[in-house]
Amino acid sequence: MVKVTINGKEVEVEPGKTILHAAEKAGFPIPTFCYNPRMDPAGACRICAVELEDSKRTVMGCITAVSDGMKVLTESAKVHDARKTNLELLLLHHPLDCPVCDCGGECPLQNMSFAYGAADSRFESHRNDEPEDMKSDVLVFNSNRCILCGKCVRICDEIQDVHAIGFINRGFDTIIGPPLGKKLDCEFCGDCLEICPTGAITDKFVRYQFRPWQMEKIETTCSSCGSGCRMLVDTESEAIVRISSQEGLGPNEGSICVVGRFGFNHVQNHSRLDKPLIKKEHRLVPGTWSEVLPRIADRLKSIVSGGSGRVAGLVSSRTPLEDAFLFQRFIRQTLRSNYIDSGARRGMMNIAKPLALATGTLRPLVDNEDIIGAEVIVVIGADPAVESNITGLAIKKAVRKNRSRLYLVHGQDVSVSTRAKEVIKLLPNSEAAFLELLRKVLAAGGSLDTASKDLLVKIGASVEGVENLLSDLSSSRKVVFVTGRRFHHSDAGYEASEALIALLKERGLWEQEGSGIFPLPELGNDMGVLMMGASYEWLPGLLDSGNPDNRKVWGTHWGTTLDSPGGGLKEILAGIEEGKIRALITLGENPFEYIPDSEFLRKTLGKLELLVVIDQHQTEIADVAHFLLPSASSFERPGHLVSAEGFVQPTAPSMAYWGESLPDAEILLRLVRQMGASLPFENFSSISQEIFKIFPDLRPSTRNGSHFQGKTGEIILALPTPSTPHKALRETVVSKIRGWEAGVSPGQAPKAEGQEPSGNEFMFQFSKSINHSGTFTTHDSNLMTIEGSGLLRVPRQWARKMKVKKGNCVLVRSAHGTISLPVDPVAGLSDREVHFPIHFADERTLALFGKDIVWNHRSGVPSGQTLSVTLEPVV
Amino acid sequence: MTKAEHGAALEITDEQIDQICEEFGNREGSVVQVLQIIQEKYGYVPAEVLERVGDDLGIPHSKMFGVLTFYSQFYQEPRGKFILKVCVGTACHVRGAELLVDKIKENLHIEAGENTEDMMFTLEPVACLGSCALAPMAMVNGNSFGKLSPDRMLEMIHQFQEEEASENKESVSAS
Repeated sequence: MVKVTINGKEVEVEPGKTILHAAEKAGFPIPTFCYNPRMDPAGACRICAVELEDSKRTVMGCITAVSDGMKVLTESAKVHDARKTNLELLLLHHPLDCPVCDCGGECPLQNMSFAYGAADSRFESHRNDEPEDMKSDVLVFNSNRCILCGKCVRICDEIQDVHAIGFINRGFDTIIGPPLGKKLDCEFCGDCLEICPTGAITDKFVRYQFRPWQMEKIETTCSSCGSGCRMLVDTESEAIVRISSQEGLGPNEGSICVVGRFGFNHVQNHSRLDKPLIKKEHRLVPGTWSEVLPRIADRLKSIVSGGSGRVAGLVSSRTPLEDAFLFQRFIRQTLRSNYIDSGARRGMMNIAKPLALATGTLRPLVDNEDIIGAEVIVVIGADPAVESNITGLAIKKAVRKNRSRLYLVHGQDVSVSTRAKEVIKLLPNSEAAFLELLRKVLAAGGSLDTASKDLLVKIGASVEGVENLLSDLSSSRKVVFVTGRRFHHSDAGYEASEALIALLKERGLWEQEGSGIFPLPELGNDMGVLMMGASYEWLPGLLDSGNPDNRKVWGTHWGTTLDSPGGGLKEILAGIEEGKIRALITLGENPFEYIPDSEFLRKTLGKLELLVVIDQHQTEIADVAHFLLPSASSFERPGHLVSAEGFVQPTAPSMAYWGESLPDAEILLRLVRQMGASLPFENFSSISQEIFKIFPDLRPSTRNGSHFQGKTGEIILALPTPSTPHKALRETVVSKIRGWEAGVSPGQAPKAEGQEPSGNEFMFQFSKSINHSGTFTTHDSNLMTIEGSGLLRVPRQWARKMKVKKGNCVLVRSAHGTISLPVDPVAGLSDREVHFPIHFADERTLALFGKDIVWNHRSGVPSGQTLSVTLEPVV
Repeated sequence: MTKAEHGAALEITDEQIDQICEEFGNREGSVVQVLQIIQEKYGYVPAEVLERVGDDLGIPHSKMFGVLTFYSQFYQEPRGKFILKVCVGTACHVRGAELLVDKIKENLHIEAGENTEDMMFTLEPVACLGSCALAPMAMVNGNSFGKLSPDRMLEMIHQFQEEEASENKESVSAS
């Protein structure tokens, strides 16, 4: 340790740290513009000048390392002079148009000028007056206001690894912007907007629509994916103006993605349901809560009085713990049925179920920090930057900072591909065969025999790439496997997960600190809703509902007897067909989004005596619904979400309920009361308390706990705060995994390897777009400005050959139908695959899959994510 | 130094760019040399070429554009076949460099930095060419011409035009 004296106060810091760190530790923060704790220091703005007491010299605090016995003054007259002079120079060309600048009021440059009184300059020069770069739909670049601190360029390079903007020209003419005078083309994370210390980069969506000091900032958790990003909702009169963030805040350390930052308009869009609707003479007409609730309650009561298992429930996996817990208890206890399922089945049941059986928990053994520290990262069937942005950032950091070796096993280049040591292209649905092969080869000493090589060629993998992977796997101790959408949705997803668990067991990685599997959930609370028992096979706490002892445990606790066996979506649809299930309640879940045969679905759901849909928007299901109840969004109601890393983080209400909408829990509790039944919850917080009492390990936890101070424009150093444990306990997992063996498939196991498309066929696959989350965000004007329609991503080589350009239509022909879709030629796609964003999948696109729904026998996950098609350009 | 070819008329293939980059082992650090070679061959660095070089050397397009715009030696637009670099440094200025520049402007109807419509000439006043003893002087495609007068300048221009007309491809020799 090095001893340093800051303004007379002695502190000890690690050698190699800068004066800035030492001063922060001593309690004397130094002002900065270009410094950011997550990035390498640049020393560009020179505002962090400090005085060395012995030599009377001023040095830059952010780039000067401490040495033993160093005496530093951070507030001397000399320092004050230096900073003032630097400010005068920074303000030479700055236009001082603060009254019409969106940054005014939260501008570090403005605040600093106020503090040092540098608006009057001793120097004379012209004020810059260049026109703004308005080409982008999202960000406006104003080069006049830029002080060239370079933070935006560096965050785009160092943190996001996107390299969308750079310095252009030289000297006084230097500006910042996208290359070649083009329109900004990037991931639109908006980190540059957030980090800019002036109004040089501003938000085009809300230009001139707010004054920072009139807004209230409310800290919340984003529910769009499993990252669990903490962000700030800036509101005025209980309406959302914009989403911002704070350096170092939350597990995301202040970075948020395009969906988190710009996707908030769908909750205050006039397409939202604002009144309960009742079906009267085949039409949905507006009603009131006092009218609809008694009617629903009466019908439910009469259906339930006929026996158990007559009602089913579907719940979205964005739903917070509280609502999910209440929902399953309502279905199981009040409505006496175990027919319950959630969107988390599609999202991650293929990996969640085998993991829970093997390890007894859904919480991962590794988090993003472990990814950063991993020797080898294997991303299999996932696009991390798209599916879980901060995991994408962690992977980029791991490669950049720690030289982790990254292997990418996918059908296309994804945003982390350029950092990968090997990109192993695999045919869709081949993960199970691939992982099983890895395990066998590792067990047999690690070298590929001819049969293995043949299999690899058959599933499209490069033998050389796999050889490298095998050698890294057999020699490394810290290995993290990241799985995602393509993996979880593959036909043999369950079998692939078992193969992965077995592979880790074979290599002894379960015992290795820093090694493990890191699945990326699809939506904000996939893991949470499963933990709360919103699936037929699990009671809360992942207790097998088929076991009478478990049913007794919860039955006794709730003062009831619990029904079995019930079923998931597959059994629910069959039950409705048979006429056994009479009523269905959906909470934010819409099967029309993923069941290909909409005609069948409409017919089946049409048989229901009662279909209650609780949602924010009117969707296809409204046609067959009897009641449509408006539900409050994640920006309106409280709740807790479990992130991919296992953090349990709260969402905070930031806007007023939209119209007459109510939180899901409130609707359910009113319904219970109306039915004359009772559940021991008076309000929302009593549900939270119950959950935290039964599951103490689900008490809120986060990384970089809140240090948001509510003051605008203030830059604070991110000092990590200790957090409550969020990962699974390794010893428990290890002891459990010892007795684990892969199960035997009860029915016919799906094929573990994909089929190479024959002749001129392509594999059509649904994928996630970086700009959207579910179908929710297609109601969002901001995100629709960025990506407003579904383009079929086709291999660029093919498009060039066929002379097809972006936006041109092609006929997509499957065994079940033909549709015309506009294309987007992309580089890096495997030359036999085409991808379509799932957010824009409508009845037409789904119809390509035909009428058969294939369910994975063991996880109940409906397949229907891949199929063979031919493409024909429309002339 | 080789004479710059007509930039606008030449197609530069991706393979040619790849080959140049490979000569330098696709090293990130060789970016300036690669751009110089491309510019020498084609007279300027077109956008697509810049992107391809970036892809070959593993440098993001934003950085490539930063390099291109940082150095005044690189051009993003096609330039004339004859680059008339007229020195307007102190010594040449004193000896009437402005008159040379005016003569060119007047006769070729171009301003400083512009190309003639037929893409034959580009006027480029420069600060100093380091041959003050020859003031006022100019440099055309790497060849120096000293002790110039406005009339001599005009003569030279006509000479270049004739040369081009008779399709004489040989390098212009020093007078």
